[in-house]
Amino acid sequence: MAADSHALTTTTEHSPVAGLSHDARGGISNVVLGMLLFITSEVMFFGGLFAAYFNVRANSPIWPTINPETNEQFHLEMLPLVLPATALLIISSFTCQLAVWAIRRGDRTAFLRNIAVTFAIGIAFLIMQATDYIVLGSEGMTLSAGTYGTTYFTLTGFHGAHVFGGAIMLGVVLYRGIGGQFSPRHHDAVEAVSLYWHFVDVVWILLFSLLYLLPGKG
Amino acid sequence: MHPLRHPRNAIFVGLLFSATGVVYWAVQTIAGWHVDYAGVTMLILLGVATSILAYVLIAGSPND
Repeated sequence: MAADSHALTTTTEHSPVAGLSHDARGGISNVVLGMLLFITSEVMFFGGLFAAYFNVRANSPIWPTINPETNEQFHLEMLPLVLPATALLIISSFTCQLAVWAIRRGDRTAFLRNIAVTFAIGIAFLIMQATDYIVLGSEGMTLSAGTYGTTYFTLTGFHGAHVFGGAIMLGVVLYRGIGGQFSPRHHDAVEAVSLYWHFVDVVWILLFSLLYLLPGKG
Repeated sequence: MHPLRHPRNAIFVGLLFSATGVVYWAVQTIAGWHVDYAGVTMLILLGVATSILAYVLIAGSPND
């Protein structure tokens, strides 16, 4: 009886297939399972926003639309803030993954260092995005500046909200890590937050390509 | 584990939807109709979401 109950006890061994923590019978841990399902719903959430953007863009005779204040087309400056912010976010995905690998092999120092760097980059990204919003606002690019402004701020705003949520999760993981709550066998929260952070990073790469690299029309 | 139950096969489930999205876009473009970009986007991303769901179902299922 005792042996049977022991066999059903969940562990955090790593799947030889995907590297995700799973229970003793081959399933994924509840935390990772929940995060994957949440990310699935988030894919469709952002899918709706992307679909709205494409629809508005396709139905507009020119894109970007005309700024009613200056009577010229809107123009997004990429280099000063957005490019460094993008580079930082991509780097943070690597540091986040390094943290996961570190805790898997039991290197707590490397784990804490990499999670702290990821958390700091997340905060830096938010500050840069807020600064970008202020600059755009001073140029007449606001949420109410036609369909272009609305779609731009809706897409980037929701992404920023997700980065904010991810930064909170990273902060909690960092706090728990400092308290010694993670080990090579027990670190489901680290795996789950890492998956979420990678997702947020991928969404930003898509957003960046869409908003800054895709040529306009008209 | 049976080869068909390998988690990486989850991608094929998603590809069905994404391929449907690509066909949906191609038909409209080739025929010269108004392209429904919203529908195309949702179908392609539905493929991504379905892949993750299929992964959860396959990798999350007990081996016994």
